[in-house]
Amino acid sequence: MRLAELREQVAPGSLLCAPAELSAYSYDGALDRARPDAVLIARSAEDVRRAVAWCAAWQVPFIARGAGTNLSGGCIPVKGGLVISLARLDRILSLDAAGLAACVEPGVVNLALQREAEKVGLFYAPDPASFRVSTIGGNAAENAGGPRCLKYGVTTNHIRAAEVVLPDGSLGRFSLDDEGPELLSLLVGAEGTLGILTKLWVKLTPLPEATRTILAGFPSIEAAVACVSSIIAAGIVPRALEAMDRPTVESVEAGRPLGYPKDPAVLLIELDGSRADCAREAAEVERLCREAGAAAVRAATDPVERERLWEGRRGAYAALARLAPNVLVEDGVVPRDKLPDIVRRIQEISAKHRVKAYLLFHAGDGNIHPNIAYDERDAAETARVKAAGHEMLQACVELGGSLSGEHGIGLDKRDAMAWLFTPETLRLFRRVKDAVDPRHLANPDKLFPIPGSKPGQGFVRPPAGASSEYANLLVDKVRSAPAGSVFRVRGASTRWRDATAEGAVELLTAGLGRVSDLDKRNYTLTVETGVSVHALHRELEGHGVFVRLPRCGGTVGGLLATRPWAGLREDILGMRVLLSNGEVVELGGKVVKNVAGYDLPRLLLGSWGTYGVILEVTMKLHARAVAVPAALPEPKPPRFSPLALRVRRAFDLEGRLNPWLAPSSRTFEGVPIASKPDDFGRNPKRLPPAPE
Amino acid sequence: MAESLGRLITDLGERSLYDAVSQCSRCGYCEQACPTYVATGDESKSPRGRNQIVRLMLEGKLDDKASSMEALSTCLTCGACTTACYAKVPVADIVLEGRRLLRGETHWLVRKICRIMIASPGFFAVLLKIGFLLKKLGLSRPARPLLRAAGLSVLAAMDEHVEETPLWNLDDATRHRTNPVKAAYRYFAACGPRYLFPRVGLATLSALDELKGAGAYLNNPCCGLLAHNYGELSDARELAKKNIEHAERNGTEPIVGDCSSCVAFLKSYPQLFLKPEDAAWRERAAAFSKRVQDAIEIYGECADRLPPAIAEGVETTYHDSCRAINPQGLKEQPRRAAKKAAGASYCEMEGADACCGGAGAFGFVHEELSDDLLKKKVGNVASVQAGVVITSSTSCLIQLARGFRKYYPDAKALHLSEFVAGALRKDHGA
Repeated sequence: MRLAELREQVAPGSLLCAPAELSAYSYDGALDRARPDAVLIARSAEDVRRAVAWCAAWQVPFIARGAGTNLSGGCIPVKGGLVISLARLDRILSLDAAGLAACVEPGVVNLALQREAEKVGLFYAPDPASFRVSTIGGNAAENAGGPRCLKYGVTTNHIRAAEVVLPDGSLGRFSLDDEGPELLSLLVGAEGTLGILTKLWVKLTPLPEATRTILAGFPSIEAAVACVSSIIAAGIVPRALEAMDRPTVESVEAGRPLGYPKDPAVLLIELDGSRADCAREAAEVERLCREAGAAAVRAATDPVERERLWEGRRGAYAALARLAPNVLVEDGVVPRDKLPDIVRRIQEISAKHRVKAYLLFHAGDGNIHPNIAYDERDAAETARVKAAGHEMLQACVELGGSLSGEHGIGLDKRDAMAWLFTPETLRLFRRVKDAVDPRHLANPDKLFPIPGSKPGQGFVRPPAGASSEYANLLVDKVRSAPAGSVFRVRGASTRWRDATAEGAVELLTAGLGRVSDLDKRNYTLTVETGVSVHALHRELEGHGVFVRLPRCGGTVGGLLATRPWAGLREDILGMRVLLSNGEVVELGGKVVKNVAGYDLPRLLLGSWGTYGVILEVTMKLHARAVAVPAALPEPKPPRFSPLALRVRRAFDLEGRLNPWLAPSSRTFEGVPIASKPDDFGRNPKRLPPAPE
Repeated sequence: MAESLGRLITDLGERSLYDAVSQCSRCGYCEQACPTYVATGDESKSPRGRNQIVRLMLEGKLDDKASSMEALSTCLTCGACTTACYAKVPVADIVLEGRRLLRGETHWLVRKICRIMIASPGFFAVLLKIGFLLKKLGLSRPARPLLRAAGLSVLAAMDEHVEETPLWNLDDATRHRTNPVKAAYRYFAACGPRYLFPRVGLATLSALDELKGAGAYLNNPCCGLLAHNYGELSDARELAKKNIEHAERNGTEPIVGDCSSCVAFLKSYPQLFLKPEDAAWRERAAAFSKRVQDAIEIYGECADRLPPAIAEGVETTYHDSCRAINPQGLKEQPRRAAKKAAGASYCEMEGADACCGGAGAFGFVHEELSDDLLKKKVGNVASVQAGVVITSSTSCLIQLARGFRKYYPDAKALHLSEFVAGALRKDHGA
């Protein structure tokens, strides 16, 4: 019996096979159910590695599971196989207060890490609503957000390195300090489809000196959103900017009167920082609220009072959970200025399907959660609720937003991916999956439409701005190049000065000189990559906005492609990329929070033109200058890891882009995806130690 | 299949078992509150997992008696999950219902004990005394293997876990007590303080007499919790009816108990009478339950009247009995009293509201899992270096005493009654 072979290799009693036990692993926080064939409650990373190696040998699907709280069907074993529970890998291995870092196992509960960090005056910023039970590993797999991510960023902004068991059972360690393409960003947020995170090095943040909470009621959703925009434009980034609509407030107040204003929209704004900044910003925010039409404004500084203001926001889901057995918590994102439009659309869709949607949103980043209470045992009602949820998501995509801000795609939204991404982009995603997991064993059939599924409407995203003439020229150049020709991708050649090889086709990006979109309502910038970094800074300063790019020579594209500073990744929202097969793919978008699909824009950072030609990049803007390094290290072409080379084939199958930089290989059959962690990575010493 | 309730009183109103369990949306927010899930990492030993197992059983989609029973029998019924749950899904009641559905026959010994409790409680007291005497004579230890061989390992475990076995019980100790004409309260003698810890019962009586005025000791029947959790519902109902009638005969004064498990069960009597034919009893049960109070509630109400702390130099901490903090919501009340009486030596420990693993017969049946929870609890006690740990139910007293004997002899477990009565006594002495 082949399962016996696995049983011998893992901790005694950790393999479950009885039907009742398996039925407890057939669900997560969403609706779908499917029973696995076996469950392993891993006791060590080595258990995970052995189990995955066993799965690879027998071609058994495997699904990593943390607390199983995800809301998108991400850990449902749709194809059976082995569920690998990481719940018992729950040790905080080290916590370096001075280095603002911790090393944790994936099963550590978010709250447990918060508690430990607080003891030394720090906190772990990502705070999904499930933080009391969900695990750091699960948060990382889903790239979870939370109210605080407006100011502090989502999970990917707080992971510095990870140890990963890859689908062939090899173990890799990936860090932001690695050379070459940023593989860590690919693995975080991949929803377990590319491997299993077995150790995480996370960033911690000092607790702020002061925190202030402000609650304000507005005469309309529009007024509230206008207020949000003016707060951001004033250079104030609150640590939370939460909104609720009137029905939600009423359902909370029905259970427990908290004195929330009964206005059409309520904003809960929380500021933190030094005592002086906090006081100044609070005064400013209160003024902006009143200017936007808020009649009732309440502010609090002491923890008890603040908690009272939060109670309504925190109690909202709780109140809804009592209305009916199930609550659909939908999760869509729109550009912030489109919030009033999406609210209108949601109201129309709710009326059409005879459902009642209660709206909670992270207004600062355009992330909206329509909540619909229902009883899954009523098949007709469930069908209406699901249809309404999907239409709401579609509306988000139609407004230039995304399918998910923080809950992930999983099973529920995999077909909807075809609304958001072009067939070319979806094919690229699939090739990335194939490159890392050719047999589709790691959490199979998630994230992308499966063959034969009907996406319904097809692609509904508004067309991205047309490419510039010069970009079209480059595309034509690639498409018309003779078969087998190789390309030299270059910007201003300030970083890599080697002469172009004989016979290579030059793809000079320096002509991509357009600032395509400077959106001061949403604080996003889309710029072509041939623009010089200095020129971009100058132009933005003229508009009173700032971007997180170091001041240096050369082009924006060259800076991104060579990644001399890991901090470049923080504000990257989207990219338009030309592939060596002549296809142009649109990755990410104009929304600041987006977890739909693999994070390929960040992956491309540091790829040195060997993955694709970055034609355009979309970044977050700031109303105030951002700290960037004054000097950058002298860039030199990276060594590509085995995984980076595999992924390269997904982008550039024949290795035609800058082939001088990355050795190409026709086949990876029999070659482990990762080398052993101890002999890979030139900067392991920069990671905090992981005691065993 | 044992008889089951079929309907439950939930926080959202009266529901069929299926509706009650379907209220679980599988959000998982209960998981970290569950001691057995935290200890095992096994979803089938989590509240959400247990709910789903019962639900699938009811839907006819799960036919696996052995491992379903394993999942349900490992539930402590501590109720911490319900406290964490937004919809307050009554997991403990659901688990008990699931066990009833899975159980073929009630164990003969449980059945026997329940019948004795109903028909001849005096005989039960005599049996216990014989047992305790055998233990004192050192005869029970060599009998443990025999008991295990006879399929009565629960008794062997009990013998091992229970240290205190007094040869006098609370009935004996209160024989000469005269009940006032108009009692300020009536004491509900739960089996723990009555037979195993009469010192606790005496302390409760002395503390309550002082704080509330003279009360009555009225020789009540057993509450029926044993039958409810491990035996026949019909037996539990019979005992409930006996108690209701017994209480109705004696006025309307509050009924105060000092074992939080029993008190919580007394408060839940109406749930036993949800069948249409029991409508009259349901009303009587509701009237009865309204009169029931946990002694620790009263200490909380009267905290202001407790003497200020007399420094003892021993760190004192509080361990929540699950059946006090979860179904009864008694978190602040006992602490108010404990803090007043302990003064500066009071300290709060981490995980005070987590189950110690006693949980009725749980400690005798699932010894390994129970020991895991106990070690964690003792660790938390040790980390605040407490010498006195106050609690409020029999199971906790047995389990904590065992834990301290085994792992941390510096501490002792006391019932809040003992602590309060001690403080009052000291006050009078001073």
